[in-house]
Amino acid sequence: MKLRAIFGYTAASATLLAAVLTPFVLMGYFSNGLAALPLHVDEVYTGGPKARSVQIGDYSIVIHRPVRPHFLQSEKPFVQLDWTPVSALPAHVSDMVNIDGRGQPDVLVSFDVPKDPKYPLRVDVKPLTPRYQAMRSVGKDNFSRLIVRVDNAILVRVPLTK
Amino acid sequence: MGASATFSEALVLGLASGPACIAACGPILVPSLLTERAGLRPHARYLSVFLAARLMGYLLFAAVAWEIGALISLAPGPRVVMMGAVNLSIASVLLWYAWSAKSLCGQSCAGEHLVEIGEKENHRAAGPGALGLLTGLNLCPPFVAAGVRAAQSGSVTGALLFFFFFFLGTSVWFIPFISFGCMARNQAVITVARMAMALIALYYASLGIAMLIGRKAYGY
Amino acid sequence: MATKACVPRPAPAEPRSIFRSLLLTLPIAVWSLLMFFHPGTNADPKSRIAATITALFMVALFFMMMRTGSTYRWRRYFFVTLGVLFPVGFIYNIVAMRGTMGIPVEEMIAGRTPFCFMPIPLLILPAALTRTLVFPGSIVPGAGAAGHGIAAMVGLWFALTLVLGKGWCSYACFFGGIEEGVAAIPARAKFRKIDPRWRYGPWAVLLAMVLLSLALFEPAYCMWLCPFKAVTEYVAARNTIGLIQNAIFILLFAGLVIALPFLTKKRTQCAFFCPFGAFQSIFNKISAFEVRIDQASCRPCLACQNVCPNLSLTKESVARGEALMSCMKCGACVDACPRQAVVWHIKGTQVAWKPERARLIFLYGAWAMAIMFGGSVVAQGIFTILHFV
Repeated sequence: MKLRAIFGYTAASATLLAAVLTPFVLMGYFSNGLAALPLHVDEVYTGGPKARSVQIGDYSIVIHRPVRPHFLQSEKPFVQLDWTPVSALPAHVSDMVNIDGRGQPDVLVSFDVPKDPKYPLRVDVKPLTPRYQAMRSVGKDNFSRLIVRVDNAILVRVPLTK
Repeated sequence: MGASATFSEALVLGLASGPACIAACGPILVPSLLTERAGLRPHARYLSVFLAARLMGYLLFAAVAWEIGALISLAPGPRVVMMGAVNLSIASVLLWYAWSAKSLCGQSCAGEHLVEIGEKENHRAAGPGALGLLTGLNLCPPFVAAGVRAAQSGSVTGALLFFFFFFLGTSVWFIPFISFGCMARNQAVITVARMAMALIALYYASLGIAMLIGRKAYGY
Repeated sequence: MATKACVPRPAPAEPRSIFRSLLLTLPIAVWSLLMFFHPGTNADPKSRIAATITALFMVALFFMMMRTGSTYRWRRYFFVTLGVLFPVGFIYNIVAMRGTMGIPVEEMIAGRTPFCFMPIPLLILPAALTRTLVFPGSIVPGAGAAGHGIAAMVGLWFALTLVLGKGWCSYACFFGGIEEGVAAIPARAKFRKIDPRWRYGPWAVLLAMVLLSLALFEPAYCMWLCPFKAVTEYVAARNTIGLIQNAIFILLFAGLVIALPFLTKKRTQCAFFCPFGAFQSIFNKISAFEVRIDQASCRPCLACQNVCPNLSLTKESVARGEALMSCMKCGACVDACPRQAVVWHIKGTQVAWKPERARLIFLYGAWAMAIMFGGSVVAQGIFTILHFV
């Protein structure tokens, strides 16, 4: 019984110590520990890591790695293209984009750039190779096919064929 | 040689798809297993019925779709309508299951009766049977992939066998669920399971309605 | 679970002397200075005023806990204040940043969805199986006001849980204070008979949401059920289903957070629904502190059971001399017992042996955490109000 009481008070004291250490040590330790784990936010949200960038005049097209949703997900595969900065874009954008870097253009992407950032965006994607699907879209159908303005970029997610 | 290679492919496809299957079936299987009485044999029996009915669902789909030539043309429109109907059916069965499990709630885990839909003992298999059949008809991406591949078989027998081996591959992943039989059953466990079933049923019902009326399931 | 006809009121305990109460409060006062006025805190005058008000408020409440020997009432003042002021600061910041409480898709893609602690149990299985966090936020702070990121919130949660266990629900949760405040309004409950099986609701919601989150690879509770989107933010509705989702959370908030607490004087959202609360209950098993009942002193009047806002005491558990694992360590039962039979207890020690010592050790840790976390939220809320004054 006495031994159990000693353990009990030890645990209680440790709890108090943990409370004191929380803002100075523990919180940062656990946060950094989680950040160091090989975890990533679902690419269906983030659009996947950036693969390369293509400069066209005053703006560039950032091409992301294709996102192939996990076997547990119902979203379709897509590749995200970012046109940035928006301020340098012409009123109408129509670009042929070589997505996979194999020398020939893969898609023709066309959209208007409205002056009002709240104006809904509309995109027309014509596939030039069988790997990509056509898309005519206003705004944000779902995460795997959309056109949105995020900060200083216009993002287009082009659906991939399976 | 050609046939064995195809069926090996089906088996491997099934094994690779297994995690997706158990994740997709989990919301249906786990709460319904928790309403069964404790013990490895009742759980093995439940899973056997569930998997057998799931196989029936697979084979039924394969046979019917092959006959009407629809295996390779799983167009999004009809697929969504079918999935909507399946989701609504799953919701109905889960709600009925949750209601019928109330007879276990005041009993100890040594209760005699298995969960049954309906009053008669010989309908004991109806619950897991219905749920297994409906999950078997659930057109998840691995299932569709198997369907497309099976359509390349030369005959309906080939397609059926392809789905059978695909089913075997996925079913391996369900074996660990037998271990749920080691968990004790009491009022708390069964009540939690019933409530969870009801909640999951509402979820499937809303998804099913959304699919049938042609709306996206989410607000973005 | 009906109230008994005549429940004897607890005999008023002899108040501790002012000098001793001040002495016991001193460590908390020092802690408050450290938390609110350490080098690097915001030197803006309004921020300083908000910090000062909050520090004085927290120290005063702790002093009263020491002076009166009761816990629940003073803790509730803090907790309700936290529940009311959190939305004030949060909504202001959100609307200032994006102009609306609705989360647009753009913010989700940019990883700027603020992360609260509720989805933590839902993220575990997908993360363990696929190393993916199924939440549209950022792991570490990114561009824009994304709060401190997912890692910071999880780190904070884990550290606080080590100290508080399920006491999180009484000293840290910035949602529970709303219903606790509403439950305190009426003098008597309109509905006193509650089927005790509703207690299992949080576990059912947890089980369902964990399974659905894995099946659909998204935070299912956040998408469909969280009632507190009514006072924080929600996915902006773009079609019929989005409207249905929004209608669900508004109804849940109105029912579980406002109407039912008013009618039952219980924290109904916490007791019957919150999956995070069920998850936190697990940590009560490893907590050093608990509430116990001295069987020698107890004459089962069940006053403790009647006042428990979380239905964590039943006839059977009282007979066993303990609270259920859902106990939030709010102190209501301890303060309500007319025979001082319900006591704070350190596991391993003899029940009712120096319970005040157990209470003090627990309260120092809990109140320190309340000041660190909840206090900063309260200060932010006061700062927001001062901003408009």
